[in-house]
Amino acid sequence: MTASHATWRRALLSLALLVSASFVGVFLLGGGRAEVYPSGNSTEVDATSLTSQDSPAAANQLAGGRTLFVENCSTCHGIDASGGDRAPPLLGVGGATVDLWLSSGWMPLAEPTAEPERKPAKFDRAQVLEIVRYVTSLAPALPGDPGVPSGLDISHANVAEGFSMFALNCAPCHTITGAGDALAGGIQAPPLHGVTKTMVWEAIRTGPGNMPRFGPGTISPAQVVDIVGYVVKDIQRPVSPGGLSLGGVGPVAEGFVGLFVGVGLCLLAALWVGDRAETEEDGEHDGHDGPEGPDGDEDGEGGDDHRELAHA
Amino acid sequence: MIDALFTWFDERLGISGSGRKMLNKIFPDHWSFLIGEVALYSFIVLLGTGVFLTLYFVPSSKVVIYEGTYAPLRGQPVSEAFASTLNLSFAVRDGLLMRQMHHWAANIFVGSIVVHMLRIFFTGAFRKPRELNWIVGSTLLILAIFNGFLGYSLPDDLVSGTGIRISFSIVESIPLIGSYAAFFLFGGNFPGNSIVPRFYILHVLVLPAIMVALIGAHLGMLVRQKHTQFPGRGHTPRNVVGSPLWPTFIAKTTGFMFLTVAVTGILSALFQINPVWLYGPYVPYKVSYAVQPDWYMGWLDGALRIMPSWEIVGFGHMIPNVFFPAILLPGITFGVLQMWPFIEARLTGDHAEHQILDRPRDRPKRTAFGAAVFSFYFVLLGASATDVLANYLSISLNVVLTSFRFLAIAVPLIVFPVTYRICKEMQSVPTAGQRKRANIVLRSAVGGYTTVRADQRPGDAVPRVDPLPLDEDVEFVPAMAGIPVVSDDSPAQSRPEEPAPDTSDRPRGGIFRIPRDYR
Repeated sequence: MTASHATWRRALLSLALLVSASFVGVFLLGGGRAEVYPSGNSTEVDATSLTSQDSPAAANQLAGGRTLFVENCSTCHGIDASGGDRAPPLLGVGGATVDLWLSSGWMPLAEPTAEPERKPAKFDRAQVLEIVRYVTSLAPALPGDPGVPSGLDISHANVAEGFSMFALNCAPCHTITGAGDALAGGIQAPPLHGVTKTMVWEAIRTGPGNMPRFGPGTISPAQVVDIVGYVVKDIQRPVSPGGLSLGGVGPVAEGFVGLFVGVGLCLLAALWVGDRAETEEDGEHDGHDGPEGPDGDEDGEGGDDHRELAHA
Repeated sequence: MIDALFTWFDERLGISGSGRKMLNKIFPDHWSFLIGEVALYSFIVLLGTGVFLTLYFVPSSKVVIYEGTYAPLRGQPVSEAFASTLNLSFAVRDGLLMRQMHHWAANIFVGSIVVHMLRIFFTGAFRKPRELNWIVGSTLLILAIFNGFLGYSLPDDLVSGTGIRISFSIVESIPLIGSYAAFFLFGGNFPGNSIVPRFYILHVLVLPAIMVALIGAHLGMLVRQKHTQFPGRGHTPRNVVGSPLWPTFIAKTTGFMFLTVAVTGILSALFQINPVWLYGPYVPYKVSYAVQPDWYMGWLDGALRIMPSWEIVGFGHMIPNVFFPAILLPGITFGVLQMWPFIEARLTGDHAEHQILDRPRDRPKRTAFGAAVFSFYFVLLGASATDVLANYLSISLNVVLTSFRFLAIAVPLIVFPVTYRICKEMQSVPTAGQRKRANIVLRSAVGGYTTVRADQRPGDAVPRVDPLPLDEDVEFVPAMAGIPVVSDDSPAQSRPEEPAPDTSDRPRGGIFRIPRDYR
């Protein structure tokens, strides 16, 4: 793999100009410092290696992707991915979109009419990439397709810059803690916990669902890596001293705890310290005819439970 | 030694006479009279932790480059206020604990004031001669809410900065003077550099000083007027039944102070509050979705959220939409709150002195009114969490918002009659809420058991129900009514010595009427 990688890439660069699949080209031109991972130590299957279709292995994988697509996707998206009544065409959507929607579990839908919701992905990583390869092989990608990032490296991400960009571009919907929230009209900005760095990257670049798409002209490749780094390092594993974080929803949860735990415990303490049996020990209230009430005998024998017990 | 010291002071100040009188002061023991003390002791926690925080907090909007230990902000421009808050949280020993104690104590402080006030309201303790103390107390509530907002705003983080921006707009919405007032209060246009230092001096000096004075007046009036008490044996308007200040009450209340501080400490150690480092510094063009104020401002936030977008235009001026929920609503709320003793006296015509408290059930109209009004503000508080509720329940935010508009009107309208009815029912059952008396089972020396039946309270007895005679022309068919028919001479109901029949009163077929006057 390592030895043949450079060859493949050279071949691919020329091919990319022809078929405009071009995501490698986009990354090289964009100058992303960590987005193209040229060495062979990536654990991911190299998404770029099989857009040319003339090796036997490639043909096998394309066939595998085609099988998966026909079994799981074609009912709605059509056997040739040209769309249908229920689903949009997938021709030219690009690898990142396909990868994100499959990895997040949005696709396949739980049932054909359901809203997409995040659930465990149906396919493993290799299967997802097989489907990606098959779908991207059907038609040339549209301009601006970012492609599937291979070997995304966030180890040198500037999380401070990422935090700043996150507050500016992401927090208005996903909230500053990344807890996610409900937007108007039944739309939800999903929480950013439990997603991989690749998914965050792809979401920023492709803009799934109602999310805006942030292209290289809006957020530079380096800034995307910074944001991904902040999300994966500091939102998913926040520096969080001071106790339980109460879900990251701020004063709503804090007020609930403050009122019902804080004030509640204080009231229980008051109940413990104070006298809670004033009415019983002092007999019946005046003005109400208990058994001893009518004859005015409030100090008499009737009103005291303890006396009765002692007597018995 | 202590004797000598005391004598030294006594010879110069003459404190033994009034001191003895003070130590013998009687305080009633009921637990609900301790709620105000939660507020008092939370205030002491606030003062203590607040002094600690002032040692490290820098009240300045000056922009500096953050160079502290929190990596996601290192090298970023932040205000000195924000940087010093982070420093306080991460670098100062016990700083985060102190910050969290201060914040949790503020939540408990305002919360216990509200509960204390509910107790005063529902038991009628605000009536003559205590109207003045009610006004002092409700003023303290307003100041506590306001000071809480100021303190929440001081760290200059993204969430609280959004709150200041909202409050700026609220001041601007006041007709005629709004923009002038906003510029005057906030030192020019938003955000400016004056907000943090101005809020700081109000938060740590001006308002606390007023509050200390008012708390002193509050307690002074309490001592001077003597404490109210619930009705009970030996309780008269001319006495107070309870424990003397020394040694009983002082021991209780000191222990209770420790408990209150302990609760604050436990919350601060277990639950994170306001993690400003996750929010980042406030920048006017950045905003986080889903920001709420602390809960005591939440009802105002909720009112802002659910207010329909009405705006009134006339004479070339517009009354902005914000004015109604954010200026008019709190204005009416606090105005009515402060004047309530006089409003109620006017409505009831009751201008007499009251030293004995009402039980809430005995004043059903006041209780129902108070519960309905309280439920209204509780709904508004819930409305400030519309987005959180929509998210957790996975329903549309718009549906939640519209629902709260209806709830804000419907819930008080439901709560009033229900509360009124419950009060009335409890009035007619004098033993409601009390335990039934036990039947004592005795074991004799030879092993036999006998039951000593306890005297029943009137509410315990099941009334005997007599059948209503049928009209002549109505033919009663038991099977159609689905009632099992038991003949009158059935052995199942032969227990004539029972004063309050239970099994014998099983329906025997027929139409029954409960006599109205059986109680």
